[in-house]
Amino acid sequence: MIRLPWPAVHWPTVRARPRADAGPLLLTAVVVAVVVLFAGAVPPLMRATADQAVRDAVRQAAEDATVRVHARWEPDDGPYGGRVRDPYLAETVSDLRGMAGDELDPDLRAVLRPPIATVTSSTLKITDGGIQRTFQLGYLGNDPAAGGGPGVTWLAGGAPRPAVPEAESRIEVPYGAPPWPVQVGLAKPVADTLNLGPGDRIPLVDQRRRTKHVVVSGVFAPTDRDDPAWRLAPWLLEPVAGVDGVGSTRFAGLLSADSLPDARLAFADEELDRTVWFALDPEVLTRDSAESVAANVVALKAASASSGVRDSSLRWETRLDAVLRDVRTRIAAANAQASVLLVGVLTVAILVLLLAADLLVRRRAMALTAARQRGATLPDLATELLVESVALALLAGAAGLGLVVAVASGISWRWAAPVILAAAVATPVLGTLTAARATRDRRVPANRTARRWVRRTGQLRRATLEVAVLAGAVAAFTTLHQRGILPPASTAPTGPGPGEDGGATLPASAPALGALVGALLLLRLLPLGTGLVLRRSLRSRRPLAVFGAARAAVTSARVLPVLVLVTSVALASFAFTLRATAVQGLAEGAWRTVGADARLDVNLADAAATTALAERVAAAPGVRQVVTAQVTDNARLVADSTLVTPRLVIVDARAFARLLAATPLPDGPQFDRLAVTGGAGGAVPALVRSADGGLRPGTRLELRRADGPAVQLAVVGTAPPVGDADDVVVVDAAAVAAAGVPVVPNTVWVTGPGAGRAVADRTLGADVLDREEVLAQRRTAPLSLGLLRLWWASITMLLAMGLLGLALGAAASAAQRWQTLTRLRTLGLRPVDARRVAVGELLPPVLVAAVGGPLLGVLLAALTLGPLALRLLTGQAVDPTAVLPWWQLGVLAVAPLAAVVVVVRVELAARRHRRLGEVLRAGEG
Amino acid sequence: MSTVPLLSVRGVERRFGVGPTAVHALRDVSFDVQGGTMVALVGRSGSGKTTLLNVVGGLDRPDAGTVVVDGTDVTALDEDGLSRLRRATVGYVFQTFGLIPVLSAAENVGAPLRLARTPAAERERRVELLLELVGLADHAQQRPAELSGGQQQRVAIARALAASPRLLIADEPTGQLDAETGLSVMSLLRGVVESEGVTVLVATHDPVMMALAERVIRIQDGRLDAEPAGSAPG
Ligand SMILES: Nc1ncnc2c1ncn2[C@@H]1O[C@H](COP(=O)(O)OP(=O)(O)OP(=O)(O)O)[C@@H](O)[C@H]1O
Ligand SMILES: [Mg+2]
Repeated sequence: MIRLPWPAVHWPTVRARPRADAGPLLLTAVVVAVVVLFAGAVPPLMRATADQAVRDAVRQAAEDATVRVHARWEPDDGPYGGRVRDPYLAETVSDLRGMAGDELDPDLRAVLRPPIATVTSSTLKITDGGIQRTFQLGYLGNDPAAGGGPGVTWLAGGAPRPAVPEAESRIEVPYGAPPWPVQVGLAKPVADTLNLGPGDRIPLVDQRRRTKHVVVSGVFAPTDRDDPAWRLAPWLLEPVAGVDGVGSTRFAGLLSADSLPDARLAFADEELDRTVWFALDPEVLTRDSAESVAANVVALKAASASSGVRDSSLRWETRLDAVLRDVRTRIAAANAQASVLLVGVLTVAILVLLLAADLLVRRRAMALTAARQRGATLPDLATELLVESVALALLAGAAGLGLVVAVASGISWRWAAPVILAAAVATPVLGTLTAARATRDRRVPANRTARRWVRRTGQLRRATLEVAVLAGAVAAFTTLHQRGILPPASTAPTGPGPGEDGGATLPASAPALGALVGALLLLRLLPLGTGLVLRRSLRSRRPLAVFGAARAAVTSARVLPVLVLVTSVALASFAFTLRATAVQGLAEGAWRTVGADARLDVNLADAAATTALAERVAAAPGVRQVVTAQVTDNARLVADSTLVTPRLVIVDARAFARLLAATPLPDGPQFDRLAVTGGAGGAVPALVRSADGGLRPGTRLELRRADGPAVQLAVVGTAPPVGDADDVVVVDAAAVAAAGVPVVPNTVWVTGPGAGRAVADRTLGADVLDREEVLAQRRTAPLSLGLLRLWWASITMLLAMGLLGLALGAAASAAQRWQTLTRLRTLGLRPVDARRVAVGELLPPVLVAAVGGPLLGVLLAALTLGPLALRLLTGQAVDPTAVLPWWQLGVLAVAPLAAVVVVVRVELAARRHRRLGEVLRAGEG
Repeated sequence: MSTVPLLSVRGVERRFGVGPTAVHALRDVSFDVQGGTMVALVGRSGSGKTTLLNVVGGLDRPDAGTVVVDGTDVTALDEDGLSRLRRATVGYVFQTFGLIPVLSAAENVGAPLRLARTPAAERERRVELLLELVGLADHAQQRPAELSGGQQQRVAIARALAASPRLLIADEPTGQLDAETGLSVMSLLRGVVESEGVTVLVATHDPVMMALAERVIRIQDGRLDAEPAGSAPG
């Protein structure tokens, strides 16, 4: 057996070295600790943010996020060919909640609140008055113990009673009998608007104009308006406009457990809907549980879709899977952004660590060479250096990770490990190489061909590295553009945490690799530049230029400092550009959602009241424009004989055009075409916009109305986008009114600096949407806020490391720089000129970074903006174009230049005590 | 002979540090040097030669005493005044050559002229002349690292002479050279005294150098020895 000699570690040296080089070692330790803190904390923080985002999304989706199950009625055929009244119907309905709950996967059940059962009738029409009023009967069963529904107080009359005495509770009613009487309670606003009281019969007919016999038992007020059950049928508490079509208002009456059996007899099976609602409890959701919940919901819906035809039991319905899919996509997009920033910070961090190691090895070059000449083997030296750097890396890494535990729940090793590793091996590798080179005969071979050969190998090595980086960048960009930044939906639908999935790291490293390639390119060009400057300065009339230029040609030939500086400035500029684009995108998204500085959504079915409201708002100080409109989502129109459901906007076209012109929203240049009334055979002119091109100029449109003849619309142009709707139809209010359609405005757009204050008045009786508030809410939404903070943190880290790189690079060349400068001082160079020459020497790489860095960053942002899918985070319709944050880019450009001046001042201060006289002695610098 | 000396040193004191560890490097040093002569400064290692040269050349300030070079009180000058002095009046040759590594031999020689803002054409002429003088016309474009020690020192001498100083200060200029190369450097120095009329103050251990000098000043523990009779300038 061959015994390999154990490396002979000289412990006194190992112990003495750190004291001699405390500065660079401490710097390395700080860099490792801070970057490990960043890299270790960001993934768990992003995970926590993702959990919040899921909760937020579910909370905002409200009803869309509930899981509903519809159940058909059990047959109620009696022995005599009629229908049998079931006095225990409320219990049956209540039991359904348990039955439905049993079908749920435990994972899903764990995140759902206690279910609420509802029974709702089809919409009926109130046959009094001219305005279109609809009516619905509703039963809420969330708390059977308390008589069925949420608590109410009876202000007049009492709870609905059964239509038959106790003894006849199981009566059989023949088909074709007169309408069965049902009692309902009315909420106070409903009763007041309808002008009805206890004992009154509500004049109702169904869609087929058959009379319904519904009697008011009493007038109530809810005990707790916020009871989740009311949210399922808000019209039980107050009239709601627009639910049943343009210009309609829905009213509703509350059934009790006692009157529910009567409602069953009053309606046919298909006219009465029985539903159990499971609301999600956002607080218990996490990103990971959302995953299994979504899968469960999809399975549930699929199963009920296939079995629905065969057996009549349960039909599941929810948009929860879509809501979760949506938020998961956004989380994936945010994670992708985080990965991009992490890779950028890590790249620069590793370059800085290499630079620090290089500085350290330079300081030790003499000692290493001496040790080698004294007979220490390379493994001995490598081991000595390794012991030190591993101890340092582990200590600093542990400090960083300790801080991670303090700020985040959990640690991500994946990103922290490369930094610790780089810190552990950089110095030993560089040190051993230096020691090996020092003892390899002469440093510069005397023989000319040998010298050329050495140069060639060096160039070849560098070119190989450059080609490797270039190939990596090309691969990253190609993957990014082909696949996008989001992980493929099939394998990982939620997207892992930042970089938890190996596949996403390559596209996420595109910007960092791009910055490296750009920096390498600039590095290649830099010597050409400094060479040119040197040649010109030799002939220059400025006597000092040549000294700075000659030194600069040497200093700027060093690879790492330039690489660190250019890469960090470029990536910081990239991050700034992305951030600015996202911030602007959020603002645009808020404009789009609100449509003005503020918007009132009016629930009044009364045109005059809305107009009065608009006038009141217009009179408020600081309000510039007030435009009222009737906006109907899912309006029913027939386009060339197919039904379309666009957003229909009936508005004063001129006022709307003025409003759009005064906002950053897209203008409507074709609005003047709407004013032409009575064109094309009396049709109302309309502007259209559709996502899929289904609505085009030339299309014939027909607006269906429930209470009048259809109105013909002639498409005369393209509409601007209005809100978030895919399809939009805009018509002029006057033209519509002229065609005989009553216009009931339900939307008030307000602009001007005082808009927010003007609509803040809660007595207006409308839902208020303040753009500033919407924007603030979006900016503070978990994902946006998390990313905005991450951008800042990354930019700070990048800039700090870039400047550190500058300082380290300067430190590495300081000895030679000041040697030259002191020598020049003995020739009569004035101290102030010495400072200028020093600045001149350090300037070229910094100038390259100051000019090239921001340009490179903006270029990278422009190249990656599409695949990075920022629109998913900003709520914009299309991918935004890059927004250039001028002053921030300016700061990035100026910061390194200012740093050079500071560095030179510090270097000068550090040498202040050295007398020029010492130059005459051997030790200089 | 005219009696205004080019260099006049009076009562110069230089102490390093304070307290018991303080080193009294120069004690009450006074002497004059007439223009156009070569004076050797001789003494054991640590006797204060370099310290004295630094004070004389304005690279260091004495704790007491005055130094007058060519009518200028060096000890009274501020930084800019000293810079001017170094640019125009004093030239230095260091034991370690002190060339600027990133500049060619010609550019090294031209550096003082650049600092003195000499017009380019004149500068180039003078550089050529000086390189010729030190026998390095063929090596004008080589960097210091590509020159031998003796060649480097000759470039340094050419550079020190570039701005036509009145006083050339050389601190062991042959200390790092072998005997033969040292000899050529020494005769070069002797030659420029003759040809350029410059005054040379040179610290040395070399007996040949002492022989070449008109006068030898001996220093011991920071004090000048009494000069042997006869060697004093006439
Ligand atoms: N910066 C300083 N700090 C403290 N002591 C100093 C300093 N410079 C010189 N000395 C001391 O002053 C004394 C004279 O030193 P100097 O360098 O002038 O001697 P030298 O004659 O030039 O010697 P050598 O022939 O070895 O060059 C020495 O004792 C030295 O230790
Ligand atoms: Mg000396």
